[in-house]
Amino acid sequence: MGGPVTLLLQVLFAGLSVGAVYALVAVGFGVVANGTGAVNFVQGEFVMLGGVMAGIVNEWLRPPLVVSLLAALAVGVAAGLLTELAAGRFSRSHNADVITLATIGLTLVIKAVVLLATGARTYQLPHFLGEAPLHVAGAVVDTQALWNLAVVVVVAAALSAFFRRTRRGTILRAAADDPEMVASLGVPFRTTARWAFVLAGVLGALAGVGLAPLSVMSYDSGTLLGLKGFAAAMLGGLGNLYGALAGGLLLGLTEAVVAGYGSATYSDAVAFVVLLIVLFTRPTGLFAQRKAVRV
Amino acid sequence: MKTRHGLAAALSTAVLVAGCSAGADSGGGEAKTIKVGTLFSVTGPAANVGDKMRKGIELAIDQINQRGGIDGKKIEWKFYDPAGDTATAVSQTRKLLTSDKVDVVVGGGSASGIALAMAQLTEPAKKLFVATEGARNIVQPESAHALTFKATFNDTVVIQKIIEFWKAKGVSRVAMLPDTTGFGQSALEVAKQEVPAAGIKMDVASFDTGTNDFTPTLGKLAAGKPQAYLAWTTDSSGVAFIKNARALVRDDSVLIQHGHGFVDDRYMRQAGEASVGTVLASPKLPVYDLLPDSDPQKKTIGDFVTAYQAKYQEQPNVYAGQAYDAMMITAEAIEKAGTTDGPALAKALENLGEYVGLTGVFRYSAQDHSGLASDGVTMIKWDGTRFVPAGS
Repeated sequence: MGGPVTLLLQVLFAGLSVGAVYALVAVGFGVVANGTGAVNFVQGEFVMLGGVMAGIVNEWLRPPLVVSLLAALAVGVAAGLLTELAAGRFSRSHNADVITLATIGLTLVIKAVVLLATGARTYQLPHFLGEAPLHVAGAVVDTQALWNLAVVVVVAAALSAFFRRTRRGTILRAAADDPEMVASLGVPFRTTARWAFVLAGVLGALAGVGLAPLSVMSYDSGTLLGLKGFAAAMLGGLGNLYGALAGGLLLGLTEAVVAGYGSATYSDAVAFVVLLIVLFTRPTGLFAQRKAVRV
Repeated sequence: MKTRHGLAAALSTAVLVAGCSAGADSGGGEAKTIKVGTLFSVTGPAANVGDKMRKGIELAIDQINQRGGIDGKKIEWKFYDPAGDTATAVSQTRKLLTSDKVDVVVGGGSASGIALAMAQLTEPAKKLFVATEGARNIVQPESAHALTFKATFNDTVVIQKIIEFWKAKGVSRVAMLPDTTGFGQSALEVAKQEVPAAGIKMDVASFDTGTNDFTPTLGKLAAGKPQAYLAWTTDSSGVAFIKNARALVRDDSVLIQHGHGFVDDRYMRQAGEASVGTVLASPKLPVYDLLPDSDPQKKTIGDFVTAYQAKYQEQPNVYAGQAYDAMMITAEAIEKAGTTDGPALAKALENLGEYVGLTGVFRYSAQDHSGLASDGVTMIKWDGTRFVPAGS
């Protein structure tokens, strides 16, 4: 290895690999923002729950990977339902700000529960597409990065079809635009919210399962990912599906460039600097068109 | 009116009597227990470390109390969990000193930053503080830390051992990746002086804890063609470092290394095949059974491991050992001094001579409140199933 071309490739690969995970988290933020208008800060914990759950199942039962994956998705669905229950029904509020605040509290509860249950142990998964990394011109690509990028593409296509082609998806989009109108037409706010949170839970779990083979997951893995995913979502415009994907990949690439050509000491700061710049200059995100987001 | 006054008088008398008898219980003559105060972060980011430390000290206290206490006085233990937060730790330490009125403080919150803050409170309160955290400046300079000791290696000592190892292997170019916490940056400070002084060229790239992909950083460092990559962290992201480094560095003769903060079976297993051959600096605990019988620590560590396994049904690690050492040394000092007076205990520790502990052989002095030299550090490597001596 060595040489400027190799380093450039390495930065590119690492950026896409990490960026794919950010993109999935960002899309999760977008789905809830569309369905309820709220910013779901539990999104990062969904990622953690998925990764930790898959890791636990894998460690105890050593099942085929798909079983661990399904267990994680099941936890994602359950976590989505519970979040909606706690943040929406418990507060009896349709107010986006109230739900947003409730999700902040929930993150603490979820982390505490997982800490009690797992005792801060770290969990991981085997690679989905083989342990041996691929070598391209001296640079390495983890096979898991390919998996994660593929998941991002599939998720984008599936969500796009869901929002445009299905009745439920159309309602979700309509609710994002004018929740009162949708409610007056006989679709309860809670039904819409429940769909949004469950979708977000599944997306989070997918991200967690995708990340676990690259790194290790423990009860506190979600917090930073959640914040970075939020930065990515804001970068692309909260609620904009393709914007979120682009925002995630862009953020991953920026971090990798800073680590490869500058210093990794600042790579965590990148996300927050990006977030601040976006909030100050283009609060609707790079790709958004309409209303500003209330945070 | 009269009856009411009478009632009030009766009540206040009762309260006074109760107060007196309570006072007589705790204050009458000499205390019957020795109060030990401890802070470990069993939750929060350092929970992994804190949990083991708590178990280690708990075992030490159990053993001391089972053999009848120190000079016939049982240990009364006050434990708080600052959850990795220094501000919380400071108020908990105040509580230990003022309302719990502990005699000694053992254990510094499982994070160097916390231990540093705690020493600021225990010193003026004239209480002995034995920390179980790593950073040098918890006890240095000793002149400003008369009553503060620690039961861990100074990173200076560990880095000296690693340099010896590199020289024996003929390594002349290295790359160091410390994390951005106090643990990593303190080691970097030492390495920046010691490594070049030993004639070894060193490139550096610090990283944030929680990093998921080290390949850009490693790719950048590869330009210097290092013969060893040394990460310095206790954070689980060190697993990704091992995986990424092994994937990028295809030459097996290049060493992938961690400092003494990453000696953990679980982390090695989670890095999979990539971790085979990873070299770490460590206390002798993980390889004690492979030590020659002549090693003074072999029996001490063996007894500890047996007792720990019996109590917790799990393997102890170096953190449990540090906390156990700290408590046992404190007990030794109290026994020797015959008092819990801070300055007298400090004097006793400084004149303890050699104390064979789990982390090393302690030789405290007025100039050295860490007490451990590089003879306690050993280079180990992961062979795929367990740690073994790395040779030289």
